[in-house]
Amino acid sequence: MMRIVKDIMARRELLVMLVIRNLKIRYKDSSLGFLWTLLGPILMILIYAVFLRILRIEVALPVLVTGIFVWQYLAMCLGDSPNAIIGSTNLVKKAAFPRLMLPLSIVLANFINFLFSMVVVVVYVRVAGEPFGQLALLPVALITQVALCLGVSLILSSLNVFFRDVQHVIGLLSMAWFFVTPVIYDASLINKVSANPDTQFWLNFLFHLNPMTGLLALYRSALIGLPAPALYLVIPSVVISGLVCLAGVTVFMKFQGRFADEL
Amino acid sequence: MNSDIAIQVEGVGKRFRLRHAGTRTLKSVALDMLRPGKRTVRDLWALKDISFSVARGKTLGLIGANGAGKSTLLALLAGTMEATEGRIGMCGTISSLLELGAGFHPDLTGRENVFLAGAIMGLTRNQMKKRFDAIVDFADIGQFIDQPVKHYSSGMYVRLGFAVAVEVDPDILLVDEVLAVGDAVFQRKCLKRMAEFRHQNKTMLIISHDLNTIQSVSDEILFLDHGRILGHGTPESVIGQYESFSRGVTTSDLRREWGTREVVLTGAEFFDDGGRETSKFKWGEALNVRLHYEATKPVGPSVFGFALSDENGRVVNGNNTQIEKVEIPGLQGTGSIVLRLPSLNLASGTYLFSFSAHSADHQVNYHRLDHAFAIGVDAGKRFEGVCYLPCEWRLDREGAKP
Repeated sequence: MMRIVKDIMARRELLVMLVIRNLKIRYKDSSLGFLWTLLGPILMILIYAVFLRILRIEVALPVLVTGIFVWQYLAMCLGDSPNAIIGSTNLVKKAAFPRLMLPLSIVLANFINFLFSMVVVVVYVRVAGEPFGQLALLPVALITQVALCLGVSLILSSLNVFFRDVQHVIGLLSMAWFFVTPVIYDASLINKVSANPDTQFWLNFLFHLNPMTGLLALYRSALIGLPAPALYLVIPSVVISGLVCLAGVTVFMKFQGRFADEL
Repeated sequence: MNSDIAIQVEGVGKRFRLRHAGTRTLKSVALDMLRPGKRTVRDLWALKDISFSVARGKTLGLIGANGAGKSTLLALLAGTMEATEGRIGMCGTISSLLELGAGFHPDLTGRENVFLAGAIMGLTRNQMKKRFDAIVDFADIGQFIDQPVKHYSSGMYVRLGFAVAVEVDPDILLVDEVLAVGDAVFQRKCLKRMAEFRHQNKTMLIISHDLNTIQSVSDEILFLDHGRILGHGTPESVIGQYESFSRGVTTSDLRREWGTREVVLTGAEFFDDGGRETSKFKWGEALNVRLHYEATKPVGPSVFGFALSDENGRVVNGNNTQIEKVEIPGLQGTGSIVLRLPSLNLASGTYLFSFSAHSADHQVNYHRLDHAFAIGVDAGKRFEGVCYLPCEWRLDREGAKP
């Protein structure tokens, strides 16, 4: 693992160039350019806000705003990563460099977009007059999410080289993941399933095995002052994100030698 | 590894897994698991038992037919593919020209792509800045450098790709058949650049189908066929070996044979006037063929014929014993007949001999061997066409009409 980090650090100039490349080409030839990073989630928030009101489901706007923006980062990585390797066939076949940089550069480029959109969220929270919560939790949440996004991206990008099914399945999986995560609803909704405290405890625990659930709790606690989630719910999310990242690196390193053969 | 050795390859093999139909899907993997005996993949060894080394400062040329494994070997050396077995040692920084402009992104400008390509090859931004002007200069693309490369002509694209790769200034340069691109002026520029590389004591590995070029730039040549080394040595000897090998391959492609087989042509030997057996002839030399036959049953008056065609099957000349009034009253048992062409006035190239044996009345075709034997001709003289007609030029200054 240390060797991988060392290899990448030795070629950090290339990593920076790849990140810049990804940022540049994402909104190339679109007149609104980078604004789409903000417009996309804002339009989605509007759609859900209207839709949820019609369904008479009560969700506070700040919850929806943080949910959608945070989800957007993962969604972009899920959408881009199947293409990370097969979209750079020429590079993979004709140039030697740590292949891990391709998905990594996508995750980092999306992270930069995400940071910019977070600024907008912070401004929104200020303007809406919501109280900030424990801002110290924000770095924890950010790092954990990068690890999670990287792990998932590494797995998807390498598997898609061998099984193109991945790119077709990913849209559905992403939608399912979206709905089991409290993005457009409040995490406390889970407590309405059962009144039994024991059942509630286990349901909550299961709910938080989805790392995005714990992550959202951290973000909402940091940004909009929702009560900090219990440690026994957050720690599994953080640990699982780390494990996904490790699994991603392992899977990727195992398969990368055969990329050039398959493409 | 010896410090005088730049590239060391030991027992390297590369296996590809081929699939019968397209990309592997979950379905095909599931099917493989259900029917272990009938896998949808099959193995192909693109390289096997490859061992050689290149001394520092030397240029090794790689030749071989398409599919011989040349590009795979270069990809292993460049590190884009992993060898299935064996060991590869490289000493020094490597730049590979496996494809010009590999890694260029169509939406980025020439300038952005130059820096990206530099980073891919392991240079820092500052190092690239120093080289930038030289690159733009060498590629000769002027104002276009700030246009997205998707608007480039294919010539501009490859020129920029080549310029980046050579300006990277590596210790070892790997070049895969990229000299064939660009116009004549740019090709000369590339060749000059590669000559400079040699003088700077850089190590190079070059693939080319242009035998003249590769002979002139290489110190040694490696000849690959079907993933194995068939020859390794001085350019002259290995290229000669490759040429006669190619002739053999050409022969087997065009070869056809038919007939009643009452008389069978069992073989032919080619030799020069000194009686030395050879398949390579020089301009104006005599060519002798001893054609062996076996009459499986006695036959009456017969005719032997030959035809000489070029590689495309176009007949240059053909003739038979009847035309030349050599009577063959009957054949029985085994024997041979000798054909002599006193002077081969042919252009350089590979030619194919066809032979036939048939009855004197042309009713029965005993045996025909079409395009069965190949010879090489080295004309050492340039002229238009396949065949040379002796000619004389005389300048008549008087210019008087007869």
